[in-house]
Amino acid sequence: MDLKFLVVDDSVTMRRIVVNSLKALGYVNYVEAADGQEALGQLAADSTINFIITDWNMPNMTGLELTQAVRTDANTASMPILMVTTRGVKEDIVQALQAKVNNYVVKPFTPQVLKEKLDQILEKL
Amino acid sequence: MVKTSSMNKVFENLNNLKNAFKIGEKVVPIIQSLTEFMHEIVPLLENINSSISESAHQMPKAANQINDVTSATELATTEILDLVDQISNRIMEIETAITEVISEQDERDEIFNKLKELIKDNPDALLLSEKLYEKNSNSELFSFVKDKLGLINDDSFKITMSLQVQDITSQQLLAVNHLIENVMGKLQTLMSQIDSSDLKKEFANLQIEVPEDAHYDPNAKYNHDEERQQKVDDIVEKQKEQASQDEIDKLFA
Repeated sequence: MDLKFLVVDDSVTMRRIVVNSLKALGYVNYVEAADGQEALGQLAADSTINFIITDWNMPNMTGLELTQAVRTDANTASMPILMVTTRGVKEDIVQALQAKVNNYVVKPFTPQVLKEKLDQILEKL
Repeated sequence: MVKTSSMNKVFENLNNLKNAFKIGEKVVPIIQSLTEFMHEIVPLLENINSSISESAHQMPKAANQINDVTSATELATTEILDLVDQISNRIMEIETAITEVISEQDERDEIFNKLKELIKDNPDALLLSEKLYEKNSNSELFSFVKDKLGLINDDSFKITMSLQVQDITSQQLLAVNHLIENVMGKLQTLMSQIDSSDLKKEFANLQIEVPEDAHYDPNAKYNHDEERQQKVDDIVEKQKEQASQDEIDKLFA
């Protein structure tokens, strides 16, 4: 499966780290967005995007709100979403799962964890 | 004729009254102290208020400095990531070149084997060709270098991953900024409420009004300070001297 990732984070540093991690795993197709609003714009403009990796805490639109918006749009409802965030309390994780993220990674993460969570999602596709 | 029971009741009431006066005597000094405390509090509140005002003026500067720190660390982190990417790219180029050299080893081996076949009847030439082969055979060295380059690449990737700290610290700094703003806002609201109310005026003017027929001293203090008595004695002496002079003056009047 040809994967094209949408990497969403308001931190330039984190976007580069996620992108470098994807490259290390052999994934070279990606686009970036700095918040949920921008991510929705990218999704509307590029129908080849088929995987979202998103932060939670972002201005304009959070990762949770982005997830909810993606899930309510028929065109993107089944798109895999991986949440990568500093939020690690149980309530947050439950909330994200209820919003239908496919998997959850807490920062700081290791490349092994990222690979593991990506693989878990891809196995079910 | 007054009945005994009525007398007892009177005595009881007198006793109650006596107890009430005793309590009153104890309470009045406490209230007086409280009033003095309120008087003292006003300048303190003014001090606090001016400190808070000064801090409030400094707060936007602090917030800006925190934001500047975040921007600076993000910039520095980006520069580090750029350098790490460069290192990785150069390592990849070297690995590619080494891989090519190693892959050519098979071809070299084949050429040497053909040469050895051609010169097998010349022992001197055969010996020299074998020495030449040994000098040119660096595959082990290249493999060693390639392994080391792989380790360097892994380490530079670890540097990349550890830079996640920048994102985490910037979020923590934002939280600190928000907390400072909240605290200062609440304190300012509190201080402006104290200012705008009549409390300040009330505290400044607060006094216990002593009725003219009062049988207590609102300034009474339980104080063993010997200086107090000395001051009294000094005043008394001065008054006596004054009285003496007055008497003399009267004689001459």
